Parts: sequence; structure tokens; C-alpha cells
Amino acid sequence: MGFLDYYKQFEGMPEEEVNAILREQAAERRRKALAVVEPIDLSATTWPEYPHPTVVNAITFTARRGLHRYLDRSGGELRSELAHRHDVPEDRVVVGDGAAQLLSSAAYALMDQALDELVTPWPSYGLYPVMAHRARAHAVPVAGYGVDAVLSAINEHTRIVALCSPNDPTGELVPAPDLRRLLEALPERVVVLLDEALVDFADAQPIDAALGLLDEFPRLICFRSFSKAWGLAGLRVGYALGGPGSEPMLEALAPELGVNELAQAGALEALRSTDRLVQRRVERVHGERARLVDELRSRERLTVTPSQANFVWVAAEGIPGADLARRLDRASVRVASGSALGDPARIRVAVHSTAATDRFLRALDGALA
Amino acid sequence: MPRTDPTDNGGLFVGRRPGTAPVKYRALPHRGTVRRRRVDRWLAALILVAMVVVCLLFFGPIPVAWLWIASRVQYWLGTVSVAIFVAFLGMLMTLLLGLRVLRRLDLTWILVRRAAGVDQREGAMTRVFAYTAALAAIIFSAWLILFAGLGPTLAPGQ
Repeated sequence: MGFLDYYKQFEGMPEEEVNAILREQAAERRRKALAVVEPIDLSATTWPEYPHPTVVNAITFTARRGLHRYLDRSGGELRSELAHRHDVPEDRVVVGDGAAQLLSSAAYALMDQALDELVTPWPSYGLYPVMAHRARAHAVPVAGYGVDAVLSAINEHTRIVALCSPNDPTGELVPAPDLRRLLEALPERVVVLLDEALVDFADAQPIDAALGLLDEFPRLICFRSFSKAWGLAGLRVGYALGGPGSEPMLEALAPELGVNELAQAGALEALRSTDRLVQRRVERVHGERARLVDELRSRERLTVTPSQANFVWVAAEGIPGADLARRLDRASVRVASGSALGDPARIRVAVHSTAATDRFLRALDGALA
Repeated sequence: MPRTDPTDNGGLFVGRRPGTAPVKYRALPHRGTVRRRRVDRWLAALILVAMVVVCLLFFGPIPVAWLWIASRVQYWLGTVSVAIFVAFLGMLMTLLLGLRVLRRLDLTWILVRRAAGVDQREGAMTRVFAYTAALAAIIFSAWLILFAGLGPTLAPGQ
């Protein structure tokens, strides 16, 4: 390096040149940001939006009010609100750490012998076989979804019929008359655990249609959740409702030391303040679900199960579910492969919004091409 | 060194005051050895002295030189107007030339200071000019009051 060159290397760039470079860098960043397509997750059955601020505020208020003392173990206020909402006596409502915990507790409480069986249609919610095994009993999955299929599997060892309605992952619903037929046909010792975690999304019958059978059939226990339509999966709050005489059983399902006080506060505030929000959300799902099903049925090679949940259960002829899910994933659309849900030929696609549906359909057309 | 001190950034931790951006080089400069940087510091000081000298020329030698040239012009041509015109034009042109030289020295001084390891962002020309102007004013005042006297020279004693 020459004498003058040595000093010339210390010359700073003029401001105009620096600004031009910065502008170019900003434009490049903008170009990249616009080019990036954020992945959309349609694999979960939980609601994708944040909880309403009033719910978060209620939780925050409860936390600040003081967590130093023991809480209301029976969740009295929340139970009272739920009982009023569903028009049942308060002692026939039990609140738990999500519907899953209550279902597990029910299985554990009801099945006490190794030969006891839990009958469930299959594919269905993956927890049912697990909770049967944890209770040291057997799960009997029955292919297909319907009362007749379930009844055909009932024998002298059957203690529980676990029904998910609407069913995860197929979205099918047990109509109230069919449920009545099932309850009438079942032997006295068999208890029906009706998992209605997704029932808020149903529009084929009134949401509380199954609850109308509680008074008539004390062996029916309905389970509901705040994790789906209420969009509070992180709170882990669910509840169960039973018929007359089910009080001791319901009491046995409750968590020993009660439900987290913050979760109780959030669920209570959700019931009091966000009812209309959930209603609008559900109406949105109804519209989008109908449109999505119509669109899917208009395409050749696709089979769609009629859904009453916030997702649809789709099969593409000649393409395994896992393969189709991978192809969609390459287009940044995540769906749940049926391999882990009980039918490897299918995928489960959540219903969110118009934009999400449009994007899924575009990705699907690309994947099927 | 980057200026991140809040007192140096208008009391704010974020952003910086306009005009205080760090120097951006086209490529990271290869700095010399410690010895070379020491030499560069001395070289920068010499350039600064040169700038002071150039500035001082503005306030004495250059006007005096052009007054002398103007007197010669008056002697040769026998006209005062042309001599005054030549004196003013010459002084102006010399002043502009001097400022160009001063600016070039200033830029060189910045580069040499950076080579010496100093984060030099601004030149010293303005300050040197101001200080030398003040010095010239003091010297002129001292000469005027103490040596030349405030009375008229054409009719002393009145």
C-alpha cells in the first residue's frame, strides 16, 4: 500500500452515499419481509386468537388480589354460573382441570377390574384408550361412528362408552335421538361419558340437546371444555354435568385440591363477558365450515366427512394423509396428518377464517396438481 | 468509539443526535503499527501548525503584501483607483486561494488523525480560523493602542 493510499483508506463515505446504501438495505429488508409467507397452522383444534382482554384482566386482578391463601376448592362461583347457564342444580356440576382430567378421573373411578372395557368409536379422541390403560382396563375401539356400531361391541365387561360429540377428528355428531336410543339399549352398569368439548361449534341441533337427557338417564355424564370455542386452552378448565343421583360420582371426579384460582377467574369472566364474542366466533366457523366443505366437495378425488366441529376430515384419493400434509406444509399450511389420529388416509383441517380457508384451498390445489 | 452515552445523545438511549453518526468506511482500514500511529499524531500536529500559519497570513502578511503591490501599481500607473482595485481584488483572490489550501490541509489533518487512531469526525478549520482571528485582533489592538497610538498620523498632536 502506497503512502497516500494508506491515508486515503481513512476517508469516510459521504452522507449521500451512506444514505443511499441504507435506503437500499431497507428496500431489501422490505422485499424479503413481503416475500416471506408466514406459516398458517390449521393442525390444532384450539382457537387461534388471543383471549379477550377482560379475561386476561380478570386473571391479573385475581393474581394481584393475592395468591397467598387457599382458594375455593369447589369452584363455587364458577359452578354456580355454569349451573345457572345450563339450568341444572349446582351440585350436579363439577369443575376440573380441563375435560380431559375429568374424563380420566371418571375412567379411573368407574373401571376397577382388569377385564373392564371402555368402548369408543374409532377414530376418535386419542385420550380414551390412554385413560382406559391408566385405569388398568381395556379400550375397545369400534370402527366407524354410530350408535349401532357401539352397541355391537357391548358385552358383560363393558363399563364405559366414551363418545366424543362432535367427534375429534371426524367432526361427526351424535344426534340426541340416537343418543337416547343408545342409553336405552345399554345395560344398567354401563356409563356413557359424552365428551362435548367441541359442541359449541355444532349447528345441527341445539347445543344443550344432550343435556336434556341428563334427568332421564343418570348414567350419562356430559363433559365440556373452555379450551375450544372459548379459546382458553391454556387455562385448562373443563366441567362435567350429570343427572339426578350422579352427585357422589361427580364429586369423585373433581381435582383433590380444586382448580387453579386463576383458571377459575378466567373461566368465570369468560362466561360473564365474552358470551357474544364466542357466539360470533361460532357463527363464523359455521359459515366458513360450510364454504370449505362445499369447496372440497367440488374438487374431484376428495372425500369430506360432514363436520359439526371446527375442522373437517378430508381424504384425497391416491394420496396418503401424511403425504398430503407434507405437501401442504411445503406451502406453509400445516394440517394434522390422520396417521396419528386414527386414519392414515386423511388429514384434519381446522376452520379459522376466510383468509385461512382461501389459503388452504390454494395450497391444496397445488398439492393435488 | 461509538457514542452511546446518553449525555452525548440528547439524554436518550435510543437513536443519536443528527450529525453524530459514526464514520462509515468503504472497507475496514488497515491501521498502522503503534510507531506509525505515533508518527501520525506528530504529523497531524504539524498540519495543524501549518493551518495556523496559513490563517495568520490572512490577518497581516497578505494584506500588507497587497498594499505594497498596490503602492507599486500606483507608482507605475499614477492612479489611486486602479491601485485600490488591484489591492482588493488581489486580497480577495488570495483569501479564496488560502481558504482552499486551508480546507485541503483540514481534510488531510482529519485523515492523519484517524490514521493516528483518533475517531476524528470534524475538521479543525473553523476553530483555527476563529482563534487566529481573535489572536490577530488582540495583536492589532495592542499594536494600535500601545505602539501606533490612537491619534491621527497625518496631523499628530491635534
